[in-house]
Amino acid sequence: MVHITINGKVIKATEGEMLLSVIRRHGIEIPALCHHEAIEPTGNCRLCMVEITREEWDGWKKHVTSCLYPVEEGLIVSTHTPDVIEIRKTILDLQLANCPDSEVIQKMAEEYGIYKTSYEVVPEGDNCIMCYACTRICEVLGRSAISAVGRGHRKEIAPPFGAEPPDCIGCLACAQICPTDVIPWTDRDNTRTIWDRKFELISCKECGRQTIAREFADYLIEKRNIPREYFEICDNCKRSELARKMGEIVARAQEVAI
Amino acid sequence: MTQQDVTRLQGIFGRNPREPGSLIAVLQDIQREFHYLPREALSETAKALEVPLSKVYSAATFYSAFSLTPRGENIIRVCKGTACHIKGADLLLDQLESGLGIKPGETTPDLKYTIEVVNCVGACAMAPVMIVNAKYHGNVPCNRALRLVKKA
Repeated sequence: MVHITINGKVIKATEGEMLLSVIRRHGIEIPALCHHEAIEPTGNCRLCMVEITREEWDGWKKHVTSCLYPVEEGLIVSTHTPDVIEIRKTILDLQLANCPDSEVIQKMAEEYGIYKTSYEVVPEGDNCIMCYACTRICEVLGRSAISAVGRGHRKEIAPPFGAEPPDCIGCLACAQICPTDVIPWTDRDNTRTIWDRKFELISCKECGRQTIAREFADYLIEKRNIPREYFEICDNCKRSELARKMGEIVARAQEVAI
Repeated sequence: MTQQDVTRLQGIFGRNPREPGSLIAVLQDIQREFHYLPREALSETAKALEVPLSKVYSAATFYSAFSLTPRGENIIRVCKGTACHIKGADLLLDQLESGLGIKPGETTPDLKYTIEVVNCVGACAMAPVMIVNAKYHGNVPCNRALRLVKKA
C-alpha cells in the first residue's frame, strides 16, 4: 500500500497500480482515448497527462501520461492545473484537425472550450487517431489479424496486403474498442462483413436470431474449451430457459408447501 | 513461386534461427536474394518464424530497405539533394528515364534496372551524384549517365 496525494487529498493505492485508474476510481474525470481495461496501456493518445511532483523535488514538477505511470509513495498529483489543461487543449486541438468528423473528439474538445481547430484540417483524413487499441486487442485475443502498415504520416491500420485478413475471426473486438469508431462493419442477413472479409453468423436454434461469427465460435471452442452447444442458443433464449426452469422450481416448491 | 524459389527460401530459413527475433534478418535475406519481398515469401516467413502475418507485413512496409514490388538487379540511385539539383541532377535523371523507359521508383520489365531518387547521400562535393548498386559516381555528365549504368 502506498500513499499519494491527488489534488490535495491523500489517497491509498496499491503498489504497481497506474495513476489513471487511481484517479478515476476517486471520481476525478480526466479524458483518455486509447485507454482500455482489456489492453496494456501505451500512452498513445497523451490526453491523460497529469502533473506530478514530490515533497523533496523542491517545486520541480513534470508532466506524465497517467495511464503509464505507476503510483509511488509520496507522489503529489495534480489533474487540472493550468499547464495540464493547456496541454490537453493542444492535443485536442490537434486531434480535431486530424479527425474533424469524430463526434467523440468534438465532444471532448468542446468540454475544453475548443469548437474549431486552430490548425489546418488534415485533407482526406479518416477519424483514426493511431492509438493501436484495435491491433492490441486483436493481439490479446491471440489473432493479430491487423497491424500498422507503412510509416510516418502514411501509416495506417490495415490487414496484410490490404486484402481479407486470413487471421481475422470476425469477433468485432477491433471495431468495438475503437475510441473514434472508424472501423466499418456490417451485419446483413447471415453475413458479417469486416475488413472486407465475410463471415457466416450463427443463428440461434430457438429464436433464429444471429449471434456471433462461426469462426469466432470455433476459435473459442478450441482455445477456451467452451462446449459447442453453448453457441447454438442465444443469450436471450438461455435466459428465458433459465427463467422457465426457475419458475418450475418455485411452482413445485409452492405445491410442496401447500 | 517456383520450386527453385521455395528451395532458396528454405535455405534462408535454415541459415537463421527459427524464432520471431529473426524476422528482420530473414526479410533482409529475402530482399537480397529475390530483390524484393514476394507475397508468398512473407506468408512462408510468418509460418516459419511463428510470427503473425500482420506483423511480418507491418515490418516489411515500415523499412524503406524492403520492397514489396519486384526491383531490378541493378539499383540506380540518383541524388536530388540541393547541390546535385543545382548541378543538373534533373538532366541526368531525364537521360536515365528516357534511356531505360522508366520513371523513378519503377523497374524495367526485364527486371534489370530500378531507378530511385534519393535526397542526399552526403557527397555534395562531387555533385551530381549517382549510385549504381554500391558504386558512387561523382560529377556525372548527363550524357555519360546511361553508359555508366549499362556498364554495371
